[in-house]
Amino acid sequence: MTWRQARRLRQACQVFFLALFLYLLFLTAGANQIPSLANLFFRLDPLSALAVMLSTRSWIPVLGLSLLTLAVTLLFGRVWCGWVCPMGTILEWVSFRKPVLKNTTALEKWHSVKYLVLLVTLGMALIGSLPLLIFDPLALLSRTLTTVLFPALNDGFTRLEMALYPTPWLQPAINWIETTWRGKVLPVQQPVYQHSLWIAALMAGILGLNLLADRFWCRVLCPLGGLLGLLAHWAVIRPLAGTGCSHCSRCARACQLGAIQATRQAIAIQSSECTVCLDCLVECNQNDLSMRIQLPPEPQQEPTLTRRQALGMLTAGVAGALLLANRQSGTWLIRPPGSQHEDDFLASCLRCSACIKACPTGALQPAGFESGLEGVWTPLLTPRIGACDYSCNACGQVCPSGAIPLLPLAEKRLVVLGNASVDRNRCLPWASNIPCIVCEEMCPTPHKSIRLEQVTIQGEDGLDIDLQRPVVVRDLCIGCGICEQRCPIEGEAAIRVYGGISSQI
Amino acid sequence: MNHISRQQFLKTCGAMAAGAALAATGCAGKTSPAAPTARSQPAEPSSGQTYLAVARGDDPAAITRAALSALGGMQRFVKSGQDVIIKPNICVAYHTPEYAATTNPQVVGALVSLCLEAGARQVRVMDRPFGGTAEAAYTISGISDAVQAAGGKMEVMSPVKYQRYPFTQGVDLQEGEIYSDIMNADVLINVPIAKHHSLARLTLGCKNLLGVVSNPGQYHRNLGQRIADLACTVRPTLTLVDAVRILTDHGPTGGNLEDVRQTNTVIASHDIITTDAYAATLFGLNGADIAYINAGARMGLGTPELEKVTIEEINL
Repeated sequence: MTWRQARRLRQACQVFFLALFLYLLFLTAGANQIPSLANLFFRLDPLSALAVMLSTRSWIPVLGLSLLTLAVTLLFGRVWCGWVCPMGTILEWVSFRKPVLKNTTALEKWHSVKYLVLLVTLGMALIGSLPLLIFDPLALLSRTLTTVLFPALNDGFTRLEMALYPTPWLQPAINWIETTWRGKVLPVQQPVYQHSLWIAALMAGILGLNLLADRFWCRVLCPLGGLLGLLAHWAVIRPLAGTGCSHCSRCARACQLGAIQATRQAIAIQSSECTVCLDCLVECNQNDLSMRIQLPPEPQQEPTLTRRQALGMLTAGVAGALLLANRQSGTWLIRPPGSQHEDDFLASCLRCSACIKACPTGALQPAGFESGLEGVWTPLLTPRIGACDYSCNACGQVCPSGAIPLLPLAEKRLVVLGNASVDRNRCLPWASNIPCIVCEEMCPTPHKSIRLEQVTIQGEDGLDIDLQRPVVVRDLCIGCGICEQRCPIEGEAAIRVYGGISSQI
Repeated sequence: MNHISRQQFLKTCGAMAAGAALAATGCAGKTSPAAPTARSQPAEPSSGQTYLAVARGDDPAAITRAALSALGGMQRFVKSGQDVIIKPNICVAYHTPEYAATTNPQVVGALVSLCLEAGARQVRVMDRPFGGTAEAAYTISGISDAVQAAGGKMEVMSPVKYQRYPFTQGVDLQEGEIYSDIMNADVLINVPIAKHHSLARLTLGCKNLLGVVSNPGQYHRNLGQRIADLACTVRPTLTLVDAVRILTDHGPTGGNLEDVRQTNTVIASHDIITTDAYAATLFGLNGADIAYINAGARMGLGTPELEKVTIEEINL
């Protein structure tokens, strides 16, 4: 196989893994039993695995698969970044014609920023705080697709179909699309997501950085890239020059990552930057560059990080975590079913948004600052937007870290998320003498957690009105929130769920 | 001559698509109401012929078949080559059929077979659950398996296909958004399960039709009249109330076997009001106790007086 063919293979791998990533995201749509490998990519991610194991001080077996990624990196270097990472693939494709910093050396001094991001992330993890995992590349991509791109595409497509449906000759085509795709690829009910604009802006910013240099994010900022870069120092098999180098510098110019420094005298390929994309091997005039075995680590390179820098960053992380952890105690937030304690939840949630994608009702929303900076984009149950479906435990099935425990459906139905309470100043039968029992009708608990009090009162016209007034039975209510979601009153519901996993009695 | 580059071409295409999407967004929802298709109704039974069939027995499929043959066979309702939709009650994805929250799957399966035997071109079965996804509800209710085994097709109701229809006979509502396939089907078979409901008192044939509108929540004010307005517009060809098991309390969701009564009965007629009035008697009520039955009767949708019609009772 020539290097050119090998590069083709690499590009095919990128397409395959990106397609697999998208496919797995859709596996969670609507299916009751989600295949256990649906969260495969997050299981392979050593950054979030390391961070969450540090913060929870426990070995999480499901995430043990990430050792595979580490092993591959120790063998071949950052192949994850060049062959697998779907975010890397997208950033490789979004290449602008004239990046501002064409000259690779200009960016070199910034390369260590990703180690800063990495070490601050890990430093914070040490004291149980994971907010920087929002910058994990897989989480970034999955969150953006889930809350921004897929809803926009579905909404646009559905509206287009609705506009075209009355046209008779288009109906067979639309019927076909709807019967084959609706409920599978296209959701029946498209959840809307709060903060999706911020999530979109972050992604747009990351893509926009490619204007400065190709794969700017991967080279300068990505914490996962940083972690793998550190390990790649010890990579056993790597692209190396032989003895026949003519010092033409073609390799250095071809390298999208700026990993090659070539002078008239010497050529050095920084393995911490190299994603094994094989471009240099293809470009080499002399056929001198090749994948060669090198043991032990490359001698001539200066260390990527000094010990002093590393310690400084870890300390900065700890300090940052302390600064961020200034949220209110006894938080009233409603977390996904089965999460036990707000602190534990924040210490184990990967911010990967797998649960948000899996939630069929849109009940799980990326949080804003409700739980301080520390809780940004963690899943929050928001009943007015969507209720926790009584027939669903999908979030527990897809959560890679166990922040949302996997509970059998029968058990999950007993989990108390919060308690509903009727606002008698606004509730139609209580405040306005208008018959309404929607909350009681919707209540999924077998004995109904909402009791209806029968009363007959005299209306303004002197006629009797029979009313049924809802009263919550606190002992039965599980806080699923379908009452709040379906309450027909305008604005905030007249029955609301108040929660707080740390304040249950 | 100007050649456009690939990039320019893509940009133009993108801009056009975006423009089309925007334009479409602007149009959506502003179309004038569609004309409701006049679903042909089955011939009224002549005097002496069975008007309402009530079949009792242990085998839900057998009593379904018995009720239909008492009414003159499925061919009275389904002609060869017709497009049939069966609308059961699959309101939640919470429980298996023993809990009587969803229509009995064997009853639905038998109806699918009967339609196909009568020469139906296709038989589709659909409902829009308010609790859980359609896919999950179709599965746990057992209806998906039964329908597929009988040769019918389960379909997820698409948000695209709701259209505004005038309620020409409407008393309270003048128009509504209804699933267009339901309106356009040659034959609509309405198969509710008889259940308790706090506001309507009972969920029966008329109430089951709330599953075909886009906004069932808005029917809860003046519920009886609005359901009747809807039933007058949708006009199912045949209504068969599944009372194999009935839910006597904590409806419509159920979940409690103590609330379930095994009554092993199905009740069927072309007349939705008569069917509902008879089904009410299983709960110790009569038609006059149910607001939508009264409203429907006032609008001439059917006759609630059971003593005025020919009832054939079959015990298997």
